[in-house]
Amino acid sequence: MKSLHTRIILLGAVLVILAAILGITSRPAIAGNGPSIQSPTELADQGLESIVLFSQLQAQTLPPPANQDPCLHCHIRGEETGLWTPLTRWIVFGTAGLVFVFGLVRTTSALKTRRSWKPIPKRFSAWLEERYEYQEPLAKVLEKPVPDWQRRWWYCLGGLTFFFFFVQGVTGIMLAFYYKPTPEAAYASIQFIESQVYFGRAIRMMHHWSANGMVVMCFAHMLRVFIMGAYKKPRELNWVSGVTLFIMTLAFGFTGYLLPWDQRAFWATTVGSEIAGGIPVIGNLALIFLRVGWDISSLTLSRFYALHVLIIPLITVAMMLAHFIMVRRQGIMKPL
Amino acid sequence: MAEKPNPEEKTVPFFPDHLAYEAKVALWFGIGLIIIGVIGLFSPVGLGAPADPMVTPEHTKPEWYFLALFQLLKWLPKTMGAVAPVILVLIILVWPFLDFKADKSRKIVRVRGIVTAILVVITIVLTILGEVT
Repeated sequence: MKSLHTRIILLGAVLVILAAILGITSRPAIAGNGPSIQSPTELADQGLESIVLFSQLQAQTLPPPANQDPCLHCHIRGEETGLWTPLTRWIVFGTAGLVFVFGLVRTTSALKTRRSWKPIPKRFSAWLEERYEYQEPLAKVLEKPVPDWQRRWWYCLGGLTFFFFFVQGVTGIMLAFYYKPTPEAAYASIQFIESQVYFGRAIRMMHHWSANGMVVMCFAHMLRVFIMGAYKKPRELNWVSGVTLFIMTLAFGFTGYLLPWDQRAFWATTVGSEIAGGIPVIGNLALIFLRVGWDISSLTLSRFYALHVLIIPLITVAMMLAHFIMVRRQGIMKPL
Repeated sequence: MAEKPNPEEKTVPFFPDHLAYEAKVALWFGIGLIIIGVIGLFSPVGLGAPADPMVTPEHTKPEWYFLALFQLLKWLPKTMGAVAPVILVLIILVWPFLDFKADKSRKIVRVRGIVTAILVVITIVLTILGEVT
């Protein structure tokens, strides 16, 4: 594909195909949906036949007016509720169209030059290799030999902790899509998750038990490292970052526990922050920092939510990065 | 940096062998999680009564991983009970700088194992006591 006019022709073909896809996947809007438009005869009377088709197309793609079924935000043509919305149709047929066009281009270019071509993944990795020269360092990482003794079960505990953290991140994001962090709405939003959201109960259950799992695995990993003395030189900072991660895990549990805003959550947090208040010298400061005042209020909930969703995850990710880099660099300690 | 691998040791390459092994372990845990999710569909976590700042319920206790500290607090006076966990955590944090002599034999590993086992049993007992009292 060398010359400019060829590229323009192909771009035009792409646009034509996309327009055809739009035509194929659109179905007439249900009666009464969308604003009223002038009928074709009315428009024809005004000598505007040519814009009849275009305005019909336009009307079909306008968003639904307010005070309507929220399902119609995605199912704008009023089709049956499900995953086959205009957006998914665009994505599926658009991708198919692009793939078809790319195949067309590839075929035509090969016909012209009679050159055999490499499979697409190999072409893509060669393209990247030319620009970033990543294959040599990647090979070093991927082919690192792992001795048998490192595959015993007690060496998996740290990785499992990370696995649970990852699960918590994913389920936490899904819950955050529906959770409302105000005292007035929090309880009801969780009831909404458990009743109206598809698989909301399952996601919440997974988040709850994955939290317990993460605490258990983190503790077990810490015990394993302690017993085997893998905190000694040269791995002291590894241990420090690991203990920080353990404290972050407990902080996750403490901040997350308040979020449902039920009696148990409210009073357990009251007790917990009272204990923090009992520390001499800095106790009052700690209590006021946690509760944002002397009592637990909506400010407390906002602060705990920000801690749970932003601050503690950032610290955790930073500590994990340090922890993993150090482990990779120093290797697993060989037991005596 | 890393100890050089012993040429006589049997090793597998990280990718794909070891990664596949780790993926299998993670997959089993993932299946366990999905089972938990399915259980959650029928018997969800649920909520207690909505929060009421005016009404203190009779038995409030924290999540299970804090129960041991909670039980400790019931026995120690308020200040000590708040300070003791903090000091404990600080000691654990700097432990490699307190116990810095290199391990000479497997005996010390066994000793650490026994000490750990005792501490874990104490923690479990404290947790259970925190739950039932």
